[in-house]
Amino acid sequence: MADSFYKSLDIGKDVVSTRTLLHEAIPLTGTIVSGTYGTNNIKNYAHGMFQSVYDYPYLSSSANHIFDITVGVGSNSSLTVANQLSKKKNIYNQMAQVLVGYDATGSVLRFDEDGDILAGGDKLDDIIFLNFSRLLVKDEIKKGTFSLKLGVSASYANAMLQRINIQDTSGSDGYLVNSPVGDYGILYATNDTGTPLNGAAAKACGLLYYQAGVCALTASVFGSLLSSSAQMNSGGETINAILTGSQISSSADALRHRMFNLQFNNTVELNSTVYFCRVNHNEFNYSTNPTYLSQSKIRVKTQASDQPVSYITTVGLYNDNNELYATAKLSEPLRKSSDTEFTIRVRLDY
Amino acid sequence: MSFFKFEEDDLFTNTIEAYPDYSFYVQSGSIYLNNRPNVSGVKDATNHLNVPKGFISLYEYNIDRAGDFIYPFLIKDGNKVSFRNTTGSAYTSLPLKTVISSSYKMSASISRNFYSSSTRPRIQALKNTLNHYTYLSPHYAYSSSYGDKASQGINLISIPSIFYGSSIKKGSVRLKFYMSGSLIGELHDRNYNGELIQVGPEGSTGSGSVAGVVLYNEGFVTLTGSWGLNSDSIAYDTTDTSKWIYFNYAANDGNSATLTSLSSSFLMEYKGVTHTQTITMFARAGYGDLNQSNNPTYLSGSGGHDSGSLHYVETPRKIKNVVYSQFSDEEPEFKKTTYISKIAIYDENKNLIGITKVATPVRKTEQNQFTFKLKIDI
Repeated sequence: MADSFYKSLDIGKDVVSTRTLLHEAIPLTGTIVSGTYGTNNIKNYAHGMFQSVYDYPYLSSSANHIFDITVGVGSNSSLTVANQLSKKKNIYNQMAQVLVGYDATGSVLRFDEDGDILAGGDKLDDIIFLNFSRLLVKDEIKKGTFSLKLGVSASYANAMLQRINIQDTSGSDGYLVNSPVGDYGILYATNDTGTPLNGAAAKACGLLYYQAGVCALTASVFGSLLSSSAQMNSGGETINAILTGSQISSSADALRHRMFNLQFNNTVELNSTVYFCRVNHNEFNYSTNPTYLSQSKIRVKTQASDQPVSYITTVGLYNDNNELYATAKLSEPLRKSSDTEFTIRVRLDY
Repeated sequence: MSFFKFEEDDLFTNTIEAYPDYSFYVQSGSIYLNNRPNVSGVKDATNHLNVPKGFISLYEYNIDRAGDFIYPFLIKDGNKVSFRNTTGSAYTSLPLKTVISSSYKMSASISRNFYSSSTRPRIQALKNTLNHYTYLSPHYAYSSSYGDKASQGINLISIPSIFYGSSIKKGSVRLKFYMSGSLIGELHDRNYNGELIQVGPEGSTGSGSVAGVVLYNEGFVTLTGSWGLNSDSIAYDTTDTSKWIYFNYAANDGNSATLTSLSSSFLMEYKGVTHTQTITMFARAGYGDLNQSNNPTYLSGSGGHDSGSLHYVETPRKIKNVVYSQFSDEEPEFKKTTYISKIAIYDENKNLIGITKVATPVRKTEQNQFTFKLKIDI
């Protein structure tokens, strides 16, 4: 670069690192997961351990994976599982190992309704898991923004007549940190349309792992938490019946049939370093650019007493060995003369 | 788990240069990228990608949505970080904690600008660039005996860099002009110097003439060829015979194609140049290495211990013999055997920074050694 001029940055005064939280609003209407594309955006696998949901028919290259659905049944469950028992147990144990961790003896801990593991309390042994895609979760689900509306009418055909809203109301300040995978919040169900809940108070119904992007929902949101249990398939079976007698994919189908709306915000952490490049009045008033001269005279001066003028177009950032590692371009050239001073703020995102 | 240090000859940094093909077919004002049809969605009848037809979607987030779009937002703080759609003065006037939102409907496509008058800001902006490349061909000159780009009819086709990468590959550009499906003109930069020379059809009017130039690094094609490619007049920027200055008519130039008994269509093909930096790592498992595993299944039996008030002795466990034998009643000779299923990469502080998995576990004994080749794009 012909017109370079090196000026050292004062690390203490001229360089500052900042952190910005960028969010995305993620709305997933229920019709995406059941209805719009039939089952073309639903992928079942030969292993039968989970079901993947896409936002468009998954054979299209445009489709994005949005989440997986699976169910797990713990060893302490009261249910007598006859279909895919080992797979449902394995899923519960695997998720518990990762999300809850181990106790002092090395045993896998069970999901706890209020997150207070030491105090005991109610455990969650029959769980529906929603594993959200990293594309949607990014760094983490924004605390206090999760909302899952489920249709919980007793009738299968009119599932959405009565609805509950499941939210992480403990959200931004009441989250828990005793998980190996980061922060998590307790999900509470409240009446959204009608009064389907068994009792008026908000009911704890699961856990939401913010950084892992996993929602662990107790199966009783379709059972004992309601005044009358929901029919989960056209055969009129209850949630316990399909957990014990049907495959995981059938449970996933049943959940999708009753998903009315899903909404959350995510968070991405943007790290930036800002370099304040200070241009004093007596600096950068000349240029070594070839066009600065015309017939060996400074083009911008018509007589000797004229003040020199230059135009700043680019700021180059160099390392200690004067090797260029970044350039910042101004949107338009900045006129610089001896009676002006600037501080050019250069931001480097990473 | 064993740690091995990469030696100097185990690490290579390379740049892969690739030449992806691109084609734009323009017909009746519709643009087709790489021969992909415009797919209408269930909710978005125009284009399931939620961008105009013939445009590439930058994020491909809001697939087939008519509302309830995924969108980014941030909350104003003291860091002066915002989106490009928020001007500096608008940002300054917002109070702290204001939610500033943007959109993910970002898209790009080719565009065309036709100039017949002397007001031609985009051409004037390219004056220095065009003159710079006169070392490749005199046809680049802004004003010369080959024409004056300040006054002659000129067709500027702009190609966003998302459609080519670092530059357009020299010698790869082909422009084809069709009339009712018949090829009436073809340009090719056959001399690799940016000149778009008419190379077809054989014997056609203007064959062998230079109809324009390509700015390979900047992503522009300027066309000045104004000879008639056939004798039929149809509606272009003016009702006229088909000429190169009308190439890509109605391709994002503000015009809409008029339906006539004769219809023109255009095909633009080229290759881009992309550079991808990669690191190749060679992870070596020598004869004497990695023949032992800490995996619980490496040992047979469940173990146990003998303990009393004054002692605690663990029962020794044997390594499981997994050597294959054709006989079920005779145990084969023991050989230490492990199966390598993944390779982990650590930084100098032994922080795990990456994991490579092999497709199927690799059987490792003291009689063989392996070198695993790991490659990552950076």
